[in-house]
Amino acid sequence: MRWNISYRETWLHRTNPSLKLLVMLALFVAVLFVHNPNVLMNFSLGFLLLFFLYTGYPLKYLLLFFVPFFVIFVSTASSMTMFGEGTTTWFQWGLVHVTKESFLRGMHLGFRALSFALLGLLFSLTTRPVYLFYSLMQQLKLKPKYAYSFLAGIRLLPIMLEEFQTVRNALKVRGADAERGLNTKLKRYAIPLLSQSIRRAQRIAVAMEAKRFSNQTNRTFYYQIGFSKYDVIFLLIIIGITALACYTGIVLPYIPVTDVR
Amino acid sequence: MQTTKGLKLADILITIVISIVFGIVYKLWGPFYYFVKPFGFHLDQLIYGMWFIAATVAFLIIRKPGIALLAEIAASSSEFVTGSEWGLEVLIYGVVQGLFAELAFAAFRYKRFDVFVVSLAAIGSTIGSLIMDYYKGYIEALAPWNLTLFFVARFVGAILISGVFASSLVKALEATGVTQMVRSASKEDYDQLDR
Repeated sequence: MRWNISYRETWLHRTNPSLKLLVMLALFVAVLFVHNPNVLMNFSLGFLLLFFLYTGYPLKYLLLFFVPFFVIFVSTASSMTMFGEGTTTWFQWGLVHVTKESFLRGMHLGFRALSFALLGLLFSLTTRPVYLFYSLMQQLKLKPKYAYSFLAGIRLLPIMLEEFQTVRNALKVRGADAERGLNTKLKRYAIPLLSQSIRRAQRIAVAMEAKRFSNQTNRTFYYQIGFSKYDVIFLLIIIGITALACYTGIVLPYIPVTDVR
Repeated sequence: MQTTKGLKLADILITIVISIVFGIVYKLWGPFYYFVKPFGFHLDQLIYGMWFIAATVAFLIIRKPGIALLAEIAASSSEFVTGSEWGLEVLIYGVVQGLFAELAFAAFRYKRFDVFVVSLAAIGSTIGSLIMDYYKGYIEALAPWNLTLFFVARFVGAILISGVFASSLVKALEATGVTQMVRSASKEDYDQLDR
């Protein structure tokens, strides 16, 4: 998503998008197998630092972006805390049963959700979709017909939003927006939006095919995306954070629990 | 144009455009989900099924192999790019859910498009999401009564939204005639010509 917010470019913006995506996905899978809350806490803290220092956005926007993630943290943690199984009871009220085990597990889940959110936000705040798809074509050999379809699709977004407004106004003028159930209401918006989008997509696809956008052999690219010293910096910093998180989590734990399962 | 293998650019672009529409719905669904969550008793799981709908709707419109998977990936990536609360997680969930929906359609060799198969695809996506939840959320550690409620709510919600509602949505779309343009000619069409 292109935000109309000015930001300064940091090394995170200049890293190769494909590399960044792969590293983030690898970290995602790695976090799934972390069961030690100390390690996970350090890990989220490290990425929180990256988020606040190197995404290059003004602090007030960063805080704004961060609000929904905090909500996620609380709601993910609370469900497991209140309904999870455990042996050391702290508090019981009706069906709510808070135990030491479920509380720790809940906190662990909260931090896990937080680190996933941070990984995603770090990526989407520092990557321009156009560069991402050009890089996917050049480095990961994504077929051009997929990449250019995505790029064309992104360009259609503002038209769809405009159309949504038109439909809403049309319904309002006819006094049709207040009556009947949710099902009818949903369809009133979905059908015109979908059918118009499909028609438009079909027309654009024919034009793109005629201009050989689906051609795979001997392609040249408007944006040449390669690797630079920023990729080395990126890799070093990520490895550094991960290693430090593991080391301090195991050697200097905050809480004497190593596995929350 | 028929000489190219696999999906044509037109199929891909239409799928992606449909998925982007649903991607925005997915994004808006996030705050709604967290609005419902505090009501407790896993009521939130009833609306979880909305996150599987791109696969079933896109497949019903275009009716080709690979569409369900592509649609779910595209929808989840546009949810991701618009800044989902779940971040990268949605991408992986999207891939797994799309894959399981695709399996359901493949089981009938992409020849059946009724409510039953679509519901089966919705169930498939649900299983995919549960597998991911198992790794991510320690859901097996919830109390048994709570876990049962969680499962039932998610399956019922998925069938209602991504199965029944999705196919009624596409039925309404068929009435506009737009699906005729994007589907490849079926056997019945050729039979009509032979007559």
